[in-house]
Amino acid sequence: MLGTQLARLFHSTNCNLSASKSALAELRKKTGYTFANCKKALETNNNDLAQAEKWLQEQAQALGWAKASKLQGRAASQGLLGVSVDNNHASVVEVNCETDFVAKNGTFKSFVELVTSSCLQLSKQQKNFSNSIAKTILGNEQLKNSPCSDGKSLGDHTALAIGSVGENVILSRALCLSVDGDLKLAGHVHPPSEKTSYPLLGRFAAVVVYKANPHTEITEKVGKQLCQHIIGMNPSAVGNPETDKPAEDADSEKNLIFQQFLINSDVTVQELLQEHNMTVVDFCRLECAEEFENQEKSAAQQAG
Amino acid sequence: MASLMSAKLIVNTASCRSVKQLLFSRDISIYSNFSGKVLNVSLPCLSLSRHFAEKLVYAREKPHVNVGTIGHVDHGKTTLTAAITKVLADKKLAKAQTYEDIDKAPEEKARGITINSAHVEYNTENRHYSHTDCPGHADYIKNMITGASMMDGAILVVAATDGVMPQTKEHLVLAKQIGIEHLVVFINKVDAADSEMLELVEIEIRELLSEMGYPGDDIPIIKGSALKALEGTDPDIGSSVILKLMEEIDRYIPIPIRDLDKPFRFPIEQTYQIPGRGTVCTGRVERGKIKKGMECEILGYDKALKTTITGIEMFHKTLEYAEAGDQLGALIRGIKRDDVKRGMVICKPGTAEVNNHVEAQVYMLKKDEGGNNKPALPWQNVSIFSSTWDCTGQLHPSKEMVMPGEDATFEIRLLRSMYFEKGQRFTMRQGSTTIGTGVVTQTLPPLTDLEKKLIMESKKKREKLLAELQKPDAPAS
Repeated sequence: MLGTQLARLFHSTNCNLSASKSALAELRKKTGYTFANCKKALETNNNDLAQAEKWLQEQAQALGWAKASKLQGRAASQGLLGVSVDNNHASVVEVNCETDFVAKNGTFKSFVELVTSSCLQLSKQQKNFSNSIAKTILGNEQLKNSPCSDGKSLGDHTALAIGSVGENVILSRALCLSVDGDLKLAGHVHPPSEKTSYPLLGRFAAVVVYKANPHTEITEKVGKQLCQHIIGMNPSAVGNPETDKPAEDADSEKNLIFQQFLINSDVTVQELLQEHNMTVVDFCRLECAEEFENQEKSAAQQAG
Repeated sequence: MASLMSAKLIVNTASCRSVKQLLFSRDISIYSNFSGKVLNVSLPCLSLSRHFAEKLVYAREKPHVNVGTIGHVDHGKTTLTAAITKVLADKKLAKAQTYEDIDKAPEEKARGITINSAHVEYNTENRHYSHTDCPGHADYIKNMITGASMMDGAILVVAATDGVMPQTKEHLVLAKQIGIEHLVVFINKVDAADSEMLELVEIEIRELLSEMGYPGDDIPIIKGSALKALEGTDPDIGSSVILKLMEEIDRYIPIPIRDLDKPFRFPIEQTYQIPGRGTVCTGRVERGKIKKGMECEILGYDKALKTTITGIEMFHKTLEYAEAGDQLGALIRGIKRDDVKRGMVICKPGTAEVNNHVEAQVYMLKKDEGGNNKPALPWQNVSIFSSTWDCTGQLHPSKEMVMPGEDATFEIRLLRSMYFEKGQRFTMRQGSTTIGTGVVTQTLPPLTDLEKKLIMESKKKREKLLAELQKPDAPAS
């Protein structure tokens, strides 16, 4: 009698609780999934930590999709642009989220990097060159179905990201760009990332297509500076020195070549290009959430 | 309805202009005939809606504190805010606001800058609170820069079901950045979690708080359900928890020092020479109290003068003392009019600093906010306006450029040492355009002679000077 009572004391429920508590804590720490999901994982797997973790990894995709469909339609007006350039190929992508807190977060950043790298792979498969430039613009649906290096689609990865940050995440648009012949590419973002290797992430992005003869380290640097100029001064066209005329008011100049160079306002972009024997063929400038703003504006116009 | 409206129009306007004058206008006289009867009937209640006399008077009975909520979008910040107003409204300490009221707060403009934020007001037994809720990092920064709502403390909301999110770290980075030293944590959605989850969430939050430099072990953590409080069910985890939360906020977030209790500060607006009496400086007392006969220091434009205030005058009458907010003239002893000028500051000796080198958080205005369409660049010179002074300043942003609509940390170098302290607000102008507005976050060591020289040099000369400086170092490295 006394023995069984003693035995009961030893097997107090408290003991069990603390065991599963540390399991929950451990699982949460290890996987980073929400407490509710970790709890569910342990319950379904009889508090077996290893199995619960496996279950979670398996379920993550499904849970991500569930969350994604729940959050679908919520406005995502923040986010990041990613730029990657590899010799003759470049990709620019825009991924949106709901708050700028998430846009600053490491989890989200590495997701955007992944999307940028995947799109760079797509650029490399382009074959339809016209005037030595091949361009593909991808929308949300195409991006979702695009493959990623690990075999999953980008849509699957988006769902995982949504599951992790708990905000709506949208693959908004992407540009895949390839050049051949003597054309060169340079890409840059703003605000500049701490790291210097591609992919770069920022709220503004620019890619410039140029010719340089000879192409040296200096012209490569000028190429990057041109991107910074394009982000800062927002030109609308390259401009043709033979047919176009500089605007009378230098501040409202919209042709790239007639603008004062951002980094050294003593020269115009054209003078800079001549100095280095370079020609700008084309450029592209993106601003994060600019489409979102345009939509809002047009909606407001329609309403008003 | 139309007649009612016209009646209202007349009642409102009639109270400030004579009715006779209005009757000369044909349109309105027609309406007034037409609505004669309605006017009589509805006058008593309409007169209540007169928009000028009816505004409530804010009675300054309790100390005022600014707080705000931060947290993940789905963790119930807005629900909590609505719940606080509801629970306090039941005690007649607030006006209840619904979730939709707070959620749909319109964009506001502070100093011409568009900010998304919701403001709610409520009282506890001891204090009056203004509560801010913003959707994004940038909005809180703009609030800080414009001073639209400086937060003395914040409530971090975390849902028990999710725990700390990846971006919670970013929320705390923000809190640090905008100078919030006192946080209270509310763990929400406890009805959907069990005790061990709650315990783990609490441990996790305390760990993260400590990691981010907050006193993680001392910060009050309150657990409850904002939704239950809002619905008015389950008071154990609803309304009573909200009251407990407010109690903790009352206790943990200190009351900011009132301007009136700080050492006096008096920026000079104008100076006059009064024959036979001396120099008089006019301006508005920014903070503190000034008494006749007080010792003072006059700072600015690289100068520091010590003297005594021998007399204070307001509206041609002498005063024994003046306090923050008063517009006055101060007679100062033994100082020539040429020695003082607009932009200098009179203060209690040793309590103010002059600086020519500060770090500031700046927001660059967008074109449609009246700003520039070009980015701010390193070495750019602008006019800095703060207090009553203006001075040339050189910008050194933390990034290679700062686009309009962005905020950034800037190092600012002033041509002269001016009254420019931590917490002081300023605007930046280029020509006639206000390009940015900011707040000083830190003072930096005084500029070296070279740095001073570089402010006014042309780009070419500057680069030459800098290149020369590099030369002797080059072989060494």
